[in-house]
Amino acid sequence: MIPVEHYVTLSSLLFIIGGVGFLVRRNVLVTLMSIEVMLNAVNLALVAFNRARPWHAIGQTYAGGSHTGQVFAFFIIAAEAAEVAVGLAIVLALYRLRRTVRSDEADLLKN
Amino acid sequence: MLSLFPPNDYALIAVILGMPLLGAIVNGIWGKRLGNAAVRFMALAAVGVSFAASVVAFVALAAHVRQAEDASMDAHVKLSWTAWEWMHTAGGQGTGTVPIEIKFSIDQLSGVMMLVVTGVGFLIHLYATSYMEKDKGFARFFAYLNLFIFAMLVLILGDNLPLLFVGWEGVGLCSYLLIGFWYENMANAAAGKKAFIANRVGDFGLLCAMFLLVNYTGALDWSGMANGAHNLLHPNMTGPLSRVQLWPLGSGNVYPPGPLHFLNPKTPLTISAATAVSLALLLACTGKSAQIPLYVWLPDAMAGPTPVSALIHAATMVTAGVYLVCRMSFVFVLSPFAMMLVAIVGAATALLAATIAVVQNDIKKVLAYSTVSQLGFMFLGVGVGAFTAGFFHVFTHAFFKACLFLGAGSVIHAMHARVHADDEAQDIRNMGGLRKWLRLTHWTFAAATAAIIGLPLTSGFFSKDEILYRAFVDNPVNPEDGKGFLRKFGTFHIPPVVGPILYGVAVAAAVLTAFYMCRLYFLTFWGEFRGWTVGRPSLLAKQELAGTKHERDHALDAPHDTELEDADETHEHHEEDLSQPGYPPHESPWQMTVPLIVLAAFAVLAGWLNPGFHLPWQAMDHWLHPVFAPVSSAIQVRHANDHEWAERMEWPLALGGIGAFAVGTAVAWWMYIAKRGEPAKAIAQAQPALYQLVLDKWRVDELYDATAIAAVDSLAETSAAFDKSIVDGIIARLTSLVVAASGTILRAFQNGVVHVYAATMVVGLAATGWFFAVPHANATVVDAGNDDYVVTAAPGVGYAYRWDANSDGKPEKADFGADSTLKLHLEPGKSQTVRLEVKNAFGFVGKKSIFVAHPPAQTSSL
Repeated sequence: MIPVEHYVTLSSLLFIIGGVGFLVRRNVLVTLMSIEVMLNAVNLALVAFNRARPWHAIGQTYAGGSHTGQVFAFFIIAAEAAEVAVGLAIVLALYRLRRTVRSDEADLLKN
Repeated sequence: MLSLFPPNDYALIAVILGMPLLGAIVNGIWGKRLGNAAVRFMALAAVGVSFAASVVAFVALAAHVRQAEDASMDAHVKLSWTAWEWMHTAGGQGTGTVPIEIKFSIDQLSGVMMLVVTGVGFLIHLYATSYMEKDKGFARFFAYLNLFIFAMLVLILGDNLPLLFVGWEGVGLCSYLLIGFWYENMANAAAGKKAFIANRVGDFGLLCAMFLLVNYTGALDWSGMANGAHNLLHPNMTGPLSRVQLWPLGSGNVYPPGPLHFLNPKTPLTISAATAVSLALLLACTGKSAQIPLYVWLPDAMAGPTPVSALIHAATMVTAGVYLVCRMSFVFVLSPFAMMLVAIVGAATALLAATIAVVQNDIKKVLAYSTVSQLGFMFLGVGVGAFTAGFFHVFTHAFFKACLFLGAGSVIHAMHARVHADDEAQDIRNMGGLRKWLRLTHWTFAAATAAIIGLPLTSGFFSKDEILYRAFVDNPVNPEDGKGFLRKFGTFHIPPVVGPILYGVAVAAAVLTAFYMCRLYFLTFWGEFRGWTVGRPSLLAKQELAGTKHERDHALDAPHDTELEDADETHEHHEEDLSQPGYPPHESPWQMTVPLIVLAAFAVLAGWLNPGFHLPWQAMDHWLHPVFAPVSSAIQVRHANDHEWAERMEWPLALGGIGAFAVGTAVAWWMYIAKRGEPAKAIAQAQPALYQLVLDKWRVDELYDATAIAAVDSLAETSAAFDKSIVDGIIARLTSLVVAASGTILRAFQNGVVHVYAATMVVGLAATGWFFAVPHANATVVDAGNDDYVVTAAPGVGYAYRWDANSDGKPEKADFGADSTLKLHLEPGKSQTVRLEVKNAFGFVGKKSIFVAHPPAQTSSL
């Protein structure tokens, strides 16, 4: 069995990649993808911890173990789907308005 | 009936009060949608049912009085009804809690007043249904009028002073609303405002009186205050507060040695609490009852519709002051000085207002000044201790003055057939000879005039004569003279010269009353009609050309066509040929004449309820006797309380009243009938300055404008200037400058680039994370007394604590624990430094040194 530290390391790497991507890339589509990477990093950490220590639910200990982390990952996927739907709609609206998908050109509200 | 409504839970009062309130609510909210017929029905039903319930209550009261008399008990019977406890307050001087209840009661005094208010109120409502018929504010008018009846009943029936105050303010509000009823006209709105503000000045006095009374007597309901009234003279406490200090303001020396020191008197100027309360109440009464110095609002109040003038500004509301003095008689008799002042204010007002009424030309203005003058008579009566006589004048005055005002309304209504401008329709110079067309109005007006001028055997004669007589012979003395506190301070004795002076002034006012009322009556109803030419300039020119006498006869002949008299139902906007005389005045419909007839009958006959002259039947005197029995010992007669002398003086003194009537009427007859007004014109021409001065009401309004109002105005202007320059100019501008500057700076950060926002968010998250990851050692020191100090560490999630009380680097316990407090014992003057270490869940440790010092004990106080 792969130790949980590996998963956590991978998850941290993914999260940092996603965060840096979110901060430095100007293309809104890439920014959205970066957010997805970060969220999936969190998902990975959740399922890994749940797999490694299934009997530690929040505040309680179950004899047969629980799947809170796994289930939580699904919730996050659902939230992601909603977020992407809204995000892509915003991207489309932005493109119609400014003919661009670069976030640094979407500065109508500046100052 | 008596068992259905027991006297201490007389719930029928709820009907008496509730019906007018219901009428006000229905007419006020739905009146416009219901239409005039429904509004009329609601208004009349409200006051009518209230009147019927009042009659029932009065009969029940009479039965209870009879029972009490038969059982030789205290005949001061009260039918009372407690709705709920409104609030409670603390009484002064350890008198404990003073409950203030929503409690209403009917006793002999309020019973009579209640009948007058609902009875006369109903008649005037009936009158108004016709008088206001064409007004677009019909529903609003009756909503106000019903609300007024409700407020007036609260004023009368309230069992304590705060509740009376509610009614007092309520009638003031309704008065304001109704004076300014035709608010499109600025003058009317201004008159309403003037009445409201003049009344506010008086209300200040009533509030002060309430504060003093609850402090000294420890009660605010009538019986409680009466029981505690002796505390106003003999306070059950010592020290400077036992009397009310007038000067210097506050207590002690206000002005330190220096240029202003002379303002400090050698002994402070103090008055007894009884005098203070009485003077405060007098101020309240001068406001509501239009006495000097606050009478100026009442003549202006005639801007309201005439039924309002009759109901509020003649028959009921303005007599509230007299009612209050009667109600609080147990306080007033404790202060002969205040009593004398009440009488002097009354007599002076009676004379001053009568002089003004002599020269006024507006029919309602004459009646307004007449009301002020008659109210002065009432105050003279209660001021000399003749509470029954003063109140009886309230009673008779309600009838004859309401009749006069309604008659005037009928006259104005008739004049509107010819004259459409309000001012001209009310000017008695445009009237004359109206008895030809207004037969009923003429006879009722004549009856009421006979009553007010004191034609022997009418109501006004009896009530006024009793006041004149009692003004001469009565001598209020302090019933507590020589007892308790008063042995030390002494009390005021009214100088014997005051009585005859009051009598003389009152007789002079009565002469003037007879004169101006007859002048009004003769000019309105006798002679020839002078209104043909009003608004018809061509007719006037013709008349001037052809010579006055001939043309006037011609003009009089023309309208004797009966067809014209009947065809004037809709006289509002007919297109007229202005060169012709036009329609003559016409009699009013039955809704207006029936109230006139009823009121006129009462005006003539009501006097027999209390004819005076030591006749065997004195119904009113007998009826009210239990109310004023407790204060009767204070009202003595002059000449060392020689009652035989007083009885002998009755008939000679009555000659003054009869003489006043005879002289005033005769002079008016001679001037306006025999000589056709020539002497009046001659006098006015001989003394133009004096005539103008009186015509301008002695320029009292101008005096107030120049003094009190100018002072307030300049204060307002100063405040406005301060507001504009300091508040707006500096403070507001500075604020806006700061906001604009910070906005400019902060705007630079809003560069619109999403990534910068995201980066800022990341930095903020990192900072927040750091804040939660590091423990925060902090502590507060509390002095627990006994030289003990408690140091308490600030709490936090997952914190554990370790203390080092003497800061030697070695904590008391090696392990971190949950104990977040440390107790220290420190002698005075010592100090100690405590070290606190806090460890959080991550294992990070925070440290802090706390310095605890005990200040040295203070041996001497400076």
